[in-house]
Amino acid sequence: MSARLLAYAVLAIVLAFLIGPFLVIVAAGLSAGESLAFPPQGLSLRWVAKVLSIESFRSSFALSMGLAVFGTLAALALGIPVAYALSRYRLPFAESIRTIVSAPIIVPGIIVGLALLRHFVVPLDIDVTLALYAAHTALVLPYAVRVVGASLENLRGDFEEAAVLLGASRLGAFVRVVLPNIRSGVLAAFVLGFVTSFNQVPVSLFLSGPGVRTLPIDMISYLENTYDPSVAALAALLALLSVAIVYLAERFLGFYRHV
Amino acid sequence: MFSSRSEGLALALPGALFAALVFLLPVGLLLAEGFRSESGWTIGAYVDFFESARNRTIFWRTLRLGALVTLAAAIIGYAAAFAIVSLGESARGRLVGLVILPLMISPVARTYAWIVILGRTGIVNRALEAIGLTDEPVRFLFTETAVFIGLLQLFLPLMILSLVSALENLPRDAIPAARVLGASWWQVFARVVLPLTREGLVIGGTLVFTGALTAFITPAILGGSKVLMLETLLYQRVTVANDFASASVIAMILIVMSFSANLLLRRLAAARRGARTGTIKARTLAAGTTR
Amino acid sequence: MSDASRGPTPDVPSSAGDARGGGPDGASAPMLALDGLTLAYGGSVAVEKLDLEVRRGELVALLGPSGCGKSTTLRAVAGLMKPASGTIALDGRDITRVPANRRDIGMIFQSYALFPHLGVFDNVAFGLRLRKTARETMTRTVREGLATVGLAGFEDRRPAELSGGQQQRVALARSLVMNPKLLLLDEPLSNLDARLRLEMRTELQRVQRETGLTMVFVTHDQSEALSLADRIVVMNDGAIEQIGSPEHIYRAPLTRFVAEFTGFENIFALRGDALETPSGPTALGETPDGEPAGLAWRPDGVSLGTGPFEGRIVGVTFAGATREYLLDSALGPIQAEADATDTPYAASETVRFDLPLRNAARLERM
Repeated sequence: MSARLLAYAVLAIVLAFLIGPFLVIVAAGLSAGESLAFPPQGLSLRWVAKVLSIESFRSSFALSMGLAVFGTLAALALGIPVAYALSRYRLPFAESIRTIVSAPIIVPGIIVGLALLRHFVVPLDIDVTLALYAAHTALVLPYAVRVVGASLENLRGDFEEAAVLLGASRLGAFVRVVLPNIRSGVLAAFVLGFVTSFNQVPVSLFLSGPGVRTLPIDMISYLENTYDPSVAALAALLALLSVAIVYLAERFLGFYRHV
Repeated sequence: MFSSRSEGLALALPGALFAALVFLLPVGLLLAEGFRSESGWTIGAYVDFFESARNRTIFWRTLRLGALVTLAAAIIGYAAAFAIVSLGESARGRLVGLVILPLMISPVARTYAWIVILGRTGIVNRALEAIGLTDEPVRFLFTETAVFIGLLQLFLPLMILSLVSALENLPRDAIPAARVLGASWWQVFARVVLPLTREGLVIGGTLVFTGALTAFITPAILGGSKVLMLETLLYQRVTVANDFASASVIAMILIVMSFSANLLLRRLAAARRGARTGTIKARTLAAGTTR
Repeated sequence: MSDASRGPTPDVPSSAGDARGGGPDGASAPMLALDGLTLAYGGSVAVEKLDLEVRRGELVALLGPSGCGKSTTLRAVAGLMKPASGTIALDGRDITRVPANRRDIGMIFQSYALFPHLGVFDNVAFGLRLRKTARETMTRTVREGLATVGLAGFEDRRPAELSGGQQQRVALARSLVMNPKLLLLDEPLSNLDARLRLEMRTELQRVQRETGLTMVFVTHDQSEALSLADRIVVMNDGAIEQIGSPEHIYRAPLTRFVAEFTGFENIFALRGDALETPSGPTALGETPDGEPAGLAWRPDGVSLGTGPFEGRIVGVTFAGATREYLLDSALGPIQAEADATDTPYAASETVRFDLPLRNAARLERM
């Protein structure tokens, strides 16, 4: 009885600490007042409207979206075969391949960004945007391999063998038998990759230029110069977007299961 | 299991090559920079780096904050994990979901919220003034405390997740048995719970520690240039002074730390299957969503 | 709810004062006394106003189906659960508010709960270490404890290496070395196979004889209770249905529940001198004295071959030493039993039978 109350109390405090700030930001962004403060003086959507109207945010939002979508798709295109190969074949250098493909998780993003800038973009005169796409793809690749890999592990190999014996080609067996069964894993990997890429900052720090900025980077420079509630509104919008995506993913995919 | 190795390699190669090319190669080159000078290979850059008192301060500060955040996360993490596990199976899924949720929100948003809360006109200061504890606003921002709080909030969910998984694997009657044998609650924790959840603690601790060491956004926003950590120092050296040598040294330090931690985690995960789920889960969520 | 039994059939020893368990020298304080104990989980009541006394050196069984409150009662006595009301007294001292780690009570869990991170020696020494026992004394005590349960030499093993029976003995040793006033056991024999069950039963009885330790154990298995206990407390739905010696419970159940639980198959409510049956009240030859609410017969209490009643055999089962018959009759379905060596009846055969009053258990409550 009192143990239960204690448990609730502890959780209330911890959850307040973890989620409270997010709620604060949302409230501050909806403020009708002039300055950034909590509790907000009145509620209004004016700062949200202001944020939505800023041109540079529109383009950086588009860039971030593009990176998230195409980067993740590319990561999946590269990663699913790797996951499949690791799970269904006895590969030489399997451990090395696994390490290489997982490396981006280990190395802090800012180092990747800097390295790409210094040894790719500048010397080879590669377009920064291209490097950005490559970086985001590399960033998401480990998730693609890992999450899809987990799904594949859960799927016994008998099914494909049965399909092949019934006349399907290897590719046909994959498309008809494997893909449908790992579908939710693939989708979960997509969502995870999307969110990761979209919220990513350090990798994109060095790989920006005139007109080439991801949304979080754009936000940070905006933050440094602006002190009104529009900043909070922006942060809140970004946060809400992530929450909405994950909520939908959980609802329709059982997202957490795969993560 | 299919036996055609070449087929398997053909499938795996594009992804692996891509990662190697886009990722390993440039990073490797960057690290190599740290050892080059006009006269060939030296460790001069490293010596120079550590000779600077400022650099050393930042190095130790990064380690210190990392350790403090990990310690705080362990204490709070155990409390929260116990609470979650004691509240029954049905609530558990939802509670864990709530704990994980912050990980999905952009670190920029999460960190920025602290500015609103800890700023001069923020909630904390206004509360303190209202109670009468202070006359003027206390400076919380751009202090180690602010960075500490920001990092703790960022990484606590990982520790909680890891400990919940560990507590779930505790033998059901171990705690009542220890109680009946005469153990006080502290003795139950120290002699039974801690030894049996040690792995979960190490996993969570490693994730939190590495996360705190390699965080960028939080120290950048909450610490600014007053409280530099290794990563923000790197950014500053490159953008302000074009000092790529230092950047390379810092990069090496960070990679070594992160890599060792990862190795430790892999070893632990291989040792026991139960830990694997927790490790994969926590690790997947850790990187990328919290930098 | 704690009925002393009354007016038993003549061949069962009298057991007046069973609830108090005092016997002729009831003056000595009981080892365990539960008074008006009420236990609840959140809103639902698991045990209501329980009164029970356990004598020094007794082996008492709490017997009942799942959910009857027996395990809950055990946990409350151990201190793992706080009572909603009522008191618990151990050897004269009120321990209702005393925390579980200071009650001087030992407990063996159904899962044995050996600490996986400690070896056998350290498991057994766990409580002694908490008491800061001197090393020499501790080592000696642990060794003796393991020897007592027949596990001498097992000090360096780990729990994972042990069989179920061995694990249980380690758990027993772990509790015994603490010299508790009372030992609680949760389903001690349920996880064991038949042979181990016999071994463990002998073990527990021996320990009890040698140490005079008071024990209370919980079980859902009536044969376990019958074979092990000095006294059985039959529980149902949070209350005590009947308390008595094993013989008593076996021969003279007081309620329908206890009768069903201990294997009485032919149970009828009584109205005056007639049994209530599906085809209406049926008179027995005699009138039972004491006006019981119902009567019950074991299958072997039904006499086949002669009698005022008639039934048709619908099922025959050979059970080794006996043959079991299911009859369809005006009284409803009847389960009877006969020696395997008697001439068997065949299915569909019609046979006469009787329900002799002297074989019946008188039920006070239906």
